Amino acid sequence: MSSRDSRASGSRGRLLPAGPAPLALIVLGAAVGLLLCAYTNALSREGGDPTQLVYWAGVLLIVVPIAARISMEDVSLRERFALVALFGLSLYAVKVIRDPFLFTFPDEPIHAYNANQALIHHGLFNGNPILPVTSGYPGLASATSALMSLSGLSSFTAGVILIGLARLLLVLSLFVLFTRVSGSHRLAGLAVVIYAGSSNFLYWGVQYSYESLSLPLLVAVLAAFAEREVAGPKLLRSWAVPIVLGTMAVVVTHHLTSYALVIVLVLLAVIYRLARSPKPNPWPFAVFTAVLAGGWMLIAANNTVDYLDPVFSGAVTSIWNTVFGESQARGLFESASNDLVYTTPFVARLITLGAVGFLFLGFLAGIREVWARRENKPFVWLFCLGAAGFFGTLALRFAPEAWETGNRAAMYLFIGLAFVVAYPALRLIRKGPRLMLRRAALLASIAVIVIGGAIAGWPWDSQLAQPTRITADDGTEIESEPITLARWVGEKLPRQKFAAADADARMILAPGGARAKTGEALAIKTILEENRLLSWELPSLRGNGLGYLVADRRRVSTDPGRGSFFFVPGSQENALRSPATMHKFGEVPLGRTYDSGNIVVFDLRDRP
Amino acid sequence: MRGHRDLGWVCLAAVVAALVAALAPWDVVRLLAAVPLAVFLPGYAITAAAFGPQRLDPQRLAMLTLLCGLSLLCLGGIVLNFLPGGIRTVTWAVLLVLVVLATARAAALRRGRPDGRPSGWTRPRLRGADIACVVLAAVLVVGTLVFAYTPLPASKAVGYTALWMLPSKNSADPAVKVGVISAEQGRQHYRLEARIGENGKPKRYHLALDPGEERAIEVPFKAPAGTKRHVVVSLYDSDRPHQLYRRVTTWTAGSQPGEG
Repeated sequence: MSSRDSRASGSRGRLLPAGPAPLALIVLGAAVGLLLCAYTNALSREGGDPTQLVYWAGVLLIVVPIAARISMEDVSLRERFALVALFGLSLYAVKVIRDPFLFTFPDEPIHAYNANQALIHHGLFNGNPILPVTSGYPGLASATSALMSLSGLSSFTAGVILIGLARLLLVLSLFVLFTRVSGSHRLAGLAVVIYAGSSNFLYWGVQYSYESLSLPLLVAVLAAFAEREVAGPKLLRSWAVPIVLGTMAVVVTHHLTSYALVIVLVLLAVIYRLARSPKPNPWPFAVFTAVLAGGWMLIAANNTVDYLDPVFSGAVTSIWNTVFGESQARGLFESASNDLVYTTPFVARLITLGAVGFLFLGFLAGIREVWARRENKPFVWLFCLGAAGFFGTLALRFAPEAWETGNRAAMYLFIGLAFVVAYPALRLIRKGPRLMLRRAALLASIAVIVIGGAIAGWPWDSQLAQPTRITADDGTEIESEPITLARWVGEKLPRQKFAAADADARMILAPGGARAKTGEALAIKTILEENRLLSWELPSLRGNGLGYLVADRRRVSTDPGRGSFFFVPGSQENALRSPATMHKFGEVPLGRTYDSGNIVVFDLRDRP
Repeated sequence: MRGHRDLGWVCLAAVVAALVAALAPWDVVRLLAAVPLAVFLPGYAITAAAFGPQRLDPQRLAMLTLLCGLSLLCLGGIVLNFLPGGIRTVTWAVLLVLVVLATARAAALRRGRPDGRPSGWTRPRLRGADIACVVLAAVLVVGTLVFAYTPLPASKAVGYTALWMLPSKNSADPAVKVGVISAEQGRQHYRLEARIGENGKPKRYHLALDPGEERAIEVPFKAPAGTKRHVVVSLYDSDRPHQLYRRVTTWTAGSQPGEG
């Protein structure tokens, strides 16, 4: 900790001003910000098509006051720590109030199914029909099952609490890590706020998914490493306990995070060697993590390679094809769902590009400052590498099959970028003339970085809530078509297997609680979308144990992020497929077991 | 544990929380016990055992408590998976209490005799204005949550009706169970027609359902042994009585086992 920071933390004895403390006002501001977000989401769920300005104003009411206070010089360590916790939890609450009734993000029902199965079967490794690899990494299901069984609550409530705790761990660990590496809790606080500019911070990174738990664990393990580095010989073993425990938890929770941890530890070991650091080299931990991750993959999750291979080989092929002009580059700010393309308004694009611009300028200035300071701490080198890598991942956004790989990698690399950018950010507000102006410029840049990141990470049309549950004219609550189907399946046919479009299949998993396959598996996507059936298609489904087929005319049913909401006529996402896609099953003929208009369930074994 | 008040409190809290989580009939009360029992108490005890006499500042203590607590949750289920009983309320409660007791004991042994130094933690000084702000913020947050969790009308959202049909399990004679679920925006009147066989005379039912209401009807039919009957159930909306609204069909010989 710098002497300046130490003085700030020791300023307790002074006379207190008459008004409320800044922290109390900031808490109040964050609460008002949340209320604005909830209000805009409510209008959106009502179908009122509200302006997103109010929503972003709510987000900024959380971000800007915290950023302003955290970047001040005369703030105690304890207050900064409280601000960081408030920051993490408030922005997490933005996501929670967006989807207060059930999980609607693409991976959430898949993991909720795993947690529910853990309680039903009193054990883990129960398999998952949509994403089999998740069953081999049961850390999230294990943790959720503990909260579910001890509290009696649903996987939704338990999951929301668990991911909230994980988000708290993430911001606290980042703060401890950055404080230790920089020696300044002022810089650390600022870096945590800048980290919220990561494209996945607001939404994707807090969905109920295994990576949302494993990334905070990874950062906490790194923070423990940074602490161990400066600990005396007596405490080396003490710090090894949380490091080993956290590493084991990462390995059983998420494949990519465990490999990221291996890469980080190997890099650190190499940097220690190159920098001739007198501190103990972390190579034993790198070997331990590698053996553990490899062993787990071989013993408990041997389908990991089958899952990851197409993702990475597809990304490499896509990059190759894009670079050499064999396929068209992906359009930025476009999210494709089936043949519908959702675009982002010009101003929102400008903000996102502005965020990248600010980050790049901050990166250049930060690297320059690191160079000028002759920083030889291994973690600083590591962060610089990460920051440079982040801009490499931006290029992947132009390759159709690689953009998601780049987007996911950016979550890890942004840790380094946030740290590097915090150097010039702090320098910008050093004492001197026009301090107010420079502070305002910094806060405006942070606002652009955070909002730009959120826009880059989540489709513009999906930023606000859509209706899953509404009140009818008499005040009764009714749910959307896919959710009603899922609840009916859970009640009437819980032991059956279904073939369904992506969104419907996820709802059948949770809240339905039954098994459903989707996508390219068994050509289900083709079978559902084509106008004529081929002779082998239905026998193939039956042969694989599927009893029912869910046909959905809504085009958006193949989009797991948009397909579980109420039908609103006239909106782009509610375009319907040709009636022939439904009629072809009647021509076979098959028994129709359930019909809610857009969704029809066919019994694959019910024939004349 | 004598002389280490924090460890004593942690052990006591773990036992009480486990009992509340296992025995209390109210989910909210159980949740208030479950979160500390699952995360904070084991996390604190493990951290205390790892660091022994070393005092940690609140920042590192908070991070390590969360890290160790969440890590234990990720790993605990895997341990329970291979033990008799598996994942249940009791086994989780017992595992967590055992971890807390064992690590608290280890922490007490590592710490040795209490050194009598006061804890580094000092309570923050709150004034009336601060308390007022925080209380107001808490009220706003509660209001926000209530607001967010209250479903609102959505006039543009289209309501719908679901019709379903499954073989009846309870009937001695062949029968199908037909259900109508209304998720329409207002009260709706329907005509249901069930036709058994190609030339059968339709049985008609008239229904009126409020939003969110479900009605199930058992439709019996006669089927000669070994033959399948084609059952077609059609639903008509009273606003458009001649236009088919929903249809379900089956070829059935009667009850089929294993449904539901």
